[in-house]
Amino acid sequence: MSPIRTEGSRNKTRIPSAAPPSSPALEWLWKYLSDVRHPHFLDCGAVSPSTVRVLVKRRAKIYVADVISLLQRGDPAVWKTEGKKLVFNEEEFLRRLPRIPLASLTVICCWHLLDLIPRESRTHLAGSLFGLLEPGGVFFCILREPYLAAGVDTHWWFENHNTLGMGGAGQRNFPYPAVTNREVENLIAGASAKTFLTRSGRREVLILKGK
Amino acid sequence: MWWEKKPQSEFPKPGPTIAARPQIAKVEKPMPETIRRESMATTASSVQAVIGRSIILKGELSANEDLLIEGQFEGAVNLQDHCLTVGTNGKVKAEINARQVVILGSVNGNVSAREKIEVRRSGNVIGDLTAASVSIEEGAYFKGSIDILREGKGEEPRIVAAASAFDNE
Repeated sequence: MSPIRTEGSRNKTRIPSAAPPSSPALEWLWKYLSDVRHPHFLDCGAVSPSTVRVLVKRRAKIYVADVISLLQRGDPAVWKTEGKKLVFNEEEFLRRLPRIPLASLTVICCWHLLDLIPRESRTHLAGSLFGLLEPGGVFFCILREPYLAAGVDTHWWFENHNTLGMGGAGQRNFPYPAVTNREVENLIAGASAKTFLTRSGRREVLILKGK
Repeated sequence: MWWEKKPQSEFPKPGPTIAARPQIAKVEKPMPETIRRESMATTASSVQAVIGRSIILKGELSANEDLLIEGQFEGAVNLQDHCLTVGTNGKVKAEINARQVVILGSVNGNVSAREKIEVRRSGNVIGDLTAASVSIEEGAYFKGSIDILREGKGEEPRIVAAASAFDNE
């Protein structure tokens, strides 16, 4: 059974299922944040009523910037053409985020962002986003396993405090090779990564910024 | 001849008569939308002012009644104890401060409400939302931040463990 809930209010064609199993990464996250009174979250996906409800209940301040959609639809604002090659425009991408003070975020939910950008841009972008995290902050991402070819057009949200919701057709192929565990470990110097394997062909990864 | 019509008498014969239908008064002009809304609101014992679809305003707006913006407004809106509704056609580029804010149209600016901010399905908001309660409908567009006002926020916040915060789910 998939640990990821495939039904959701965002997806009009609901797939009925039994009570979805919980996400191990989320369970870990809430325990980790148990003594944080007012966490600050950045959601890099489209605003989700469900995510807002969950985070508001957790007394969080929420920043929302749907930068993932820009990547999904190949928005020319974040992709430059150099000859025949599409080049990721990181500067423009970061400009699309709301104004967030440096080192102020507790958690960044970047969902499958790293699967949507070229390998050579991953380290630099992750480093830029890490700059927004406070010491001890968490960078939460969902990475596909190499055998999972399609799913660029999926979107993610918090269904409740321990379940992830997933919607979208999930039929478009990923344009870049999957991020390996070694790459995750080397993504940020001095950070530690926790990877939770799921049976849906995805890894739930939490990268912790050193204190 | 037998088929020849008999000359009809000019006056109808006395007999049972059918009562004429009462004439329905014709409405020459429908009531303007703005007036209609206001009168409806008045009967519901709350007056709502309306900035109509064709109105473009710039400046600082404050009021002691509920307000519906269907036109364009740029500047600052202050309705301390009242409700602001940005209608589906409304385009507001302003700092908003009200008791309650309902957004169906487009808002660019920070929104602060003492009670609640609702962003409906058709709503499009770029800015920071601060309120005691915030709800965003599926399909709405939002970019910015959401911060919930807590009672006695200035005081030392209560320690709430994550587990207990989710007890009611």
